[in-house]
Amino acid sequence: MRIRMRATARLTAALAALSLAAACGGTSGGAAQNGPTEITFWSWTKGSAEVVDAFNAAHTDVKVKFEQIPAGPSGGYTKFSTALKAGNAPDVMNIEYPVLPDYVSQGNLVDLTQRVADVRDRFPEQIRSLYELGGKTWALPMDITPMAFYYRKDFFDANGIAVPTTWDEYRAAAAKVKQVDPKARIGTLFTDEPQFLAAFAWQAGGKWFDTSGGAWNVSLDDPATRKVADYWQGLVDDDLVNVPVGPAWNASVKAGETVGYVGASWGAQVVLRANQPEQAGKWAAAPVPHWGTPAGGMFGGSTFAVSANSKKVDASVKFIRWMTTDEKAVTTRIGVAKSTMYPAATDLVPAAAKSFDPAFFGGQNVYDVFAESAKTVKPGWTWGPGMLSTFSTLKDGLGQLTSGRKLSDSITAANRSTVDELRKRGLNVGS
Amino acid sequence: MARSSQKRTERGAAAMLLGPFMVLFVATLVVPIGYAVYLSLFTERSSGLGFGGTETLFAGLGNYLHALSDPAFRDGFWVIVGYLVGYVPVMVGGALLLALLLDSTLARAKRFFQLTLYLPHAVPGLIAAIIWLYLYTPGLSPVVSAMRDSGLSWNFLSSDHALSSVVNIAVWEWIGYNVVIFYAALQAIPREVIEAASVDGAGELRTALSIKLPMIRAAVVMTVMFTIIGALQLFTEPVILNGANPAVSATWTPNMYAYDAAFRKSDYGLAAAASILLALAAAALSFVVTRVSQRRTA
Repeated sequence: MRIRMRATARLTAALAALSLAAACGGTSGGAAQNGPTEITFWSWTKGSAEVVDAFNAAHTDVKVKFEQIPAGPSGGYTKFSTALKAGNAPDVMNIEYPVLPDYVSQGNLVDLTQRVADVRDRFPEQIRSLYELGGKTWALPMDITPMAFYYRKDFFDANGIAVPTTWDEYRAAAAKVKQVDPKARIGTLFTDEPQFLAAFAWQAGGKWFDTSGGAWNVSLDDPATRKVADYWQGLVDDDLVNVPVGPAWNASVKAGETVGYVGASWGAQVVLRANQPEQAGKWAAAPVPHWGTPAGGMFGGSTFAVSANSKKVDASVKFIRWMTTDEKAVTTRIGVAKSTMYPAATDLVPAAAKSFDPAFFGGQNVYDVFAESAKTVKPGWTWGPGMLSTFSTLKDGLGQLTSGRKLSDSITAANRSTVDELRKRGLNVGS
Repeated sequence: MARSSQKRTERGAAAMLLGPFMVLFVATLVVPIGYAVYLSLFTERSSGLGFGGTETLFAGLGNYLHALSDPAFRDGFWVIVGYLVGYVPVMVGGALLLALLLDSTLARAKRFFQLTLYLPHAVPGLIAAIIWLYLYTPGLSPVVSAMRDSGLSWNFLSSDHALSSVVNIAVWEWIGYNVVIFYAALQAIPREVIEAASVDGAGELRTALSIKLPMIRAAVVMTVMFTIIGALQLFTEPVILNGANPAVSATWTPNMYAYDAAFRKSDYGLAAAASILLALAAAALSFVVTRVSQRRTA
């Protein structure tokens, strides 16, 4: 009896040990030295999977393993953070312009200056300050995101409303829309998307961050931003724009209660075409309204960078260069995957425009509008090193808008919390 | 001689059976808590413009002091207090009422109601929060349209009503679970006591209030304690509401504050310190609750 028990006990022990060993066995073996170099790539931008397939088909020395992750602010950046902290981040990461300085200041990216010096001139000068920080190049830009005013052409034509070219005209058009159909509104103040405020402030000539004098000068509440905040506050107070959020916004567009959308180039696909396929042919695009002289800011926009964890930097850089400068990458993204991104590499724009399917916009090639807007993007804008935190504070303030909290108060509070946050990190902050 | 070797075998068998659990317990509970304490003692500093990367410095209790002095963190605890004040009475009271009704002689189709009351708990918290978010969203929700048509205008997603909206989701999720616990406790009451009460002329209501309730006190206290500990960790439902509607701020509860510190501010030391403080608060509260209940029964 006792002997049998001991045998059973030994068997159980052996099984337990085996299963533990198998679990700890580890998955990643060393890279095969004879076959192609395998690199990993995480992204959420539209068309990434198709672009990776195109790259893999065209190359034998580098193979890319792609993983789709949620959009940055909705969890993608969290995934990057945890992976970087754990030391197993992907080789190539998709990082948007506002968050790039944050990743650089955490020491998470590889300096690419020497490796990409030859393609530097293919990207327009006005956006270089967004990814060349501290005198080094940290990423290659995928797209520029000029703003456009998308509107329901059928509604505007049927009611004789002129398409606004300035913000004053936008306000007048908003009043006309409301008068013609009391339930309809010309546009929305997105209380869950503080990046719009940044884009509008950029367009108006504001400068939230600058690094002159070797210190971060934070001025979220500069006069240009105040002008923008007061303008939109006025629209909200007079009920000329609505404030639905998320699924409620999509529902209002479907119901015809929102007949205009001021958005970026990628919004044509991701926001409009994907969610409102039944409204194909009814929409058109116009240049974004301005303050008197055509000018623009950027809303969003992605770059590709190499993580500091990566052991295959050369292969990663090869992939990044292909994605941002090769025509096949752009035609795949736009033609096959139906993205409406506006490529950062100037010489790729004609190919992008040709790959675009204009059916949703009644035959209008919206790339003409994007090209016009892209030329007017104001140079010299810099993002701060903690934008995720700044946007989070702004978003919390915007959330109180419907309870009476003024936009300008939210911006002032975000300014204060950003200064505190940067000081706490030990950075030089100008007064 | 025979007895000591038998003892050794028994001890060996016990170690073998407890072994896997202890390994998993240490690996998934003790080690992460130890790592969190370690993380909470350090902080990362940049210098200049920050483009040279960060260095890790020993911060001692600095992270803890920073968390305690941060109004966002302290306000999170006030939100929890408000949540408990609304949630505990409604949930415990509701569960008790339903359990007593199920146990009473007037109940019909007991199994059916037990099952349907428990079903919401089988839905994962994340899915429940998303479903309720759609039910709260005007333009999508049949409930909101019906309310609007009948004249009531209640904005579930405004910052004033966010707390009651979250309490509603939590009650829906957990009431069935607690009904099952209370019902089981009620079944454990010896039938002679109930029969004696009815012989003495007590009606259903009197029996419920004066006989059954006092006899399941232990289960009620345990439920209240678990509810409080669970409430302190409130995270899933507010995060879903925050993602879709910023009326719930990003640091609304202490757990969300820790999440925000880790993943938006990249400040793992602060996040670890906030989590440890939350765990200490939960431990302190459960100690108080157990003491108070023990004194009552003693």
